[in-house]
Amino acid sequence: MVNRVVLNNQIHRDVRIAATRPTRENAEVNTVSVIPREFPRLVAHYPIFYTKNAETGRFEPSALLGFQPQENLFFVDGRWEAAYVPLQIQRQPFSLISRRAEDSAGKPPSLEVALDLSQTVQSQEGERLFLEDGQPTKFLQGITSMLSALVAGTKETYAFTGRLAELSLIEPVQIDIEFVNGSETKLQGLYWIAAAALKALPAAQLAELRDREFLEWMYFQMASISHVSGLVARKNRLLCGVTAARPQEDRR
Amino acid sequence: MTSQTELPIRKILVVGGGTAGWLTAGVLASRFPQRGQDGIAVTLIESLGQPPIGVGEGTWPTIRSTLKQIGVTETDFLRECDASFKQGTHFEKWVDGSDADAYYHPFTLPVGFEDRNLAPYWLEDPRARSFASSMCFQSELCANGLAPKQITTPEFTGLANYAYHLDAGKFGPFLRKHCVEKLGVNHVYDDIVGVQSDDAGDISHLVTKSGKPLAADLFVDCSGFSALLIGKHLGVPFVSKKDVLFIDKAWAVQIPYPTEDAPINSVTMATAQSSGWVWDIGLSTRRGVGYVFSSRHLTDESALEELKNYISARGDLSQNLSFRNIDINSGYRQEFWTRNCVAVGLSAGFLEPLEASAIVMIELSAKSIANLLPSNRGGMRQAARVFNDTFRYRWEHIVDFLKLHYALSRRSDSQFWIDNRSRDSIPDSLHAGLQFWANHSPWHDDFSHREEVFSAASYQYILYGMGFQTHPAPWLLNDRDRDLAREKMNETAQYAKVLTASLPGNRDLLSKVRRYGLQKI
Repeated sequence: MVNRVVLNNQIHRDVRIAATRPTRENAEVNTVSVIPREFPRLVAHYPIFYTKNAETGRFEPSALLGFQPQENLFFVDGRWEAAYVPLQIQRQPFSLISRRAEDSAGKPPSLEVALDLSQTVQSQEGERLFLEDGQPTKFLQGITSMLSALVAGTKETYAFTGRLAELSLIEPVQIDIEFVNGSETKLQGLYWIAAAALKALPAAQLAELRDREFLEWMYFQMASISHVSGLVARKNRLLCGVTAARPQEDRR
Repeated sequence: MTSQTELPIRKILVVGGGTAGWLTAGVLASRFPQRGQDGIAVTLIESLGQPPIGVGEGTWPTIRSTLKQIGVTETDFLRECDASFKQGTHFEKWVDGSDADAYYHPFTLPVGFEDRNLAPYWLEDPRARSFASSMCFQSELCANGLAPKQITTPEFTGLANYAYHLDAGKFGPFLRKHCVEKLGVNHVYDDIVGVQSDDAGDISHLVTKSGKPLAADLFVDCSGFSALLIGKHLGVPFVSKKDVLFIDKAWAVQIPYPTEDAPINSVTMATAQSSGWVWDIGLSTRRGVGYVFSSRHLTDESALEELKNYISARGDLSQNLSFRNIDINSGYRQEFWTRNCVAVGLSAGFLEPLEASAIVMIELSAKSIANLLPSNRGGMRQAARVFNDTFRYRWEHIVDFLKLHYALSRRSDSQFWIDNRSRDSIPDSLHAGLQFWANHSPWHDDFSHREEVFSAASYQYILYGMGFQTHPAPWLLNDRDRDLAREKMNETAQYAKVLTASLPGNRDLLSKVRRYGLQKI
């Protein structure tokens, strides 16, 4: 069970967080929600699609990591095999929770950094969160800015995908894959850019997408699709029992 | 000079700004999107003085494709018309009036229905649950107050078949905005003071209070019960059906929800009373409740008391409720399309709110007008003939189907129910059908028209929900279909479980749609 508590420089002064992350419990997912600001780095490794948020139905970009629930082909033998780990994974076990102070009626709730105590991330050796005088460490400052980037990025995400959906630039895609051992899978619930609609887009709207950086993001995302074949190759290697020979690009 | 028959049909004038008027204008304008020199002009005249009466709050699943064709989004529609999801009707106390007396008429077809008729095998299984539960997974969703879809399901599609409950007072203005802003429908606010015919007898133009005449090639009379063109001007007689369908009055009331998160029913609740039945419809913002009854069997005062009893039994009579008294004149026009005038909506007819046939008839009429619209005046007569044949059949068929609900009742606690079973109140067509179905389960081929308002599936749900028995000859049944029926019924139960676990509550989903909207794809 998730057990999130707001960080406190007294209570959590001596807490240390394991240096080798992500842990298995954070990493074993086959998709992870990502934000457009990450696209330039994600595009070197992962296929990015759009998926629907199960709670809101809104589109959000997601990196595809595997073909079955909990299958992360980038996470092998406890190690993440790519130079860049998506922020949603990196930030674990921290999150932001909104808190409303008792006397703040009418004001927006403040966001505070919380730690999930249910995760096995505390260690004797790891990173400290607070200095002796109660000030946050560089490590915690890094976490805080990562979480802020995610909050800002989520807003940008929905402005981005919302506009794409309005312009009918997103369409569903079904990908049928046959693996080396003959097994087959159908990837469903994935969406991508409707290429024909983009081509036919009037100049004014195209300019709007360009000015809002959306066009750039779209091209990053479209280019990332080529990594599907790389992901299939990873799975094929697993199926063949070949784990030693890894391509150069995937080494840390 | 072109002859009369060569006059092109380029100008359509819709008379009346209620649900019928705007739906018809929307269907026609979206079907013929070309305006100006090379197109069709669609104009709607709405009188400022007469606010339209909402013809009804219940729809059929056809409304989804109609709204989609008109070009509105489901999100906007749900938000702006306070609409909610409707998955069918729950009938209470129609069979014998006991507390356990209840059945569903869900919108999803009985299992296997596209392919073959499995009802006879349900009939012969003494351990089977109710027909609707055995043959349709949707009953379980309705019983649990679940939505027919998820927030990730695209607009206008569902995991179960569905329609809407809507606020008729908001539906017209919602469509008006779309028709005027997006579809290029001309909107005129004016009062009609006269109707002018040409020498041949066709309507040439309307005389308005502002003095500006409104000419058109085709006039669509959506003027409601006043039937301004089809009735008053053209004198087409009204065919009363009050000897078959006894409902002629209603008390209606709007009831707020007790709390903001109170559950919303995803079916129309239809509860039989001493001399009629109570409708209970959950919109997203309030309930609409009313008692339709026969004034030949019950006084206004007694009906109001029964309605209040219904409401207070559910603990909702504490507020200051305002009850509205409405007259219902059950029947339809002898002709719907005559000369260059076609009636749609209440001017064409109204029976009673049971099974929510009013709005679906508007949709079907608008669609038929679009499909039949002749190029010139010469084609008008034939279009009218086909239209009249089709819609006379449809109205008669609806009369039969509505009467079926009453004719099968075993209630004898009041004269209303007893009179409803008298042979002379039952149309011959329905009587013949009932005799046939004693040995033959209803199927597509039992009806002569393709696009039935109420198909064989609806007949099955009502007949077997009401406890009707069909005894087909054993040599007409076979083991292969018997096995298939068993398999399908098991699948239905399984599927109901899966969906029940994964679908949100009706209220939950409506709140999410308000907040996030639905995706088009």
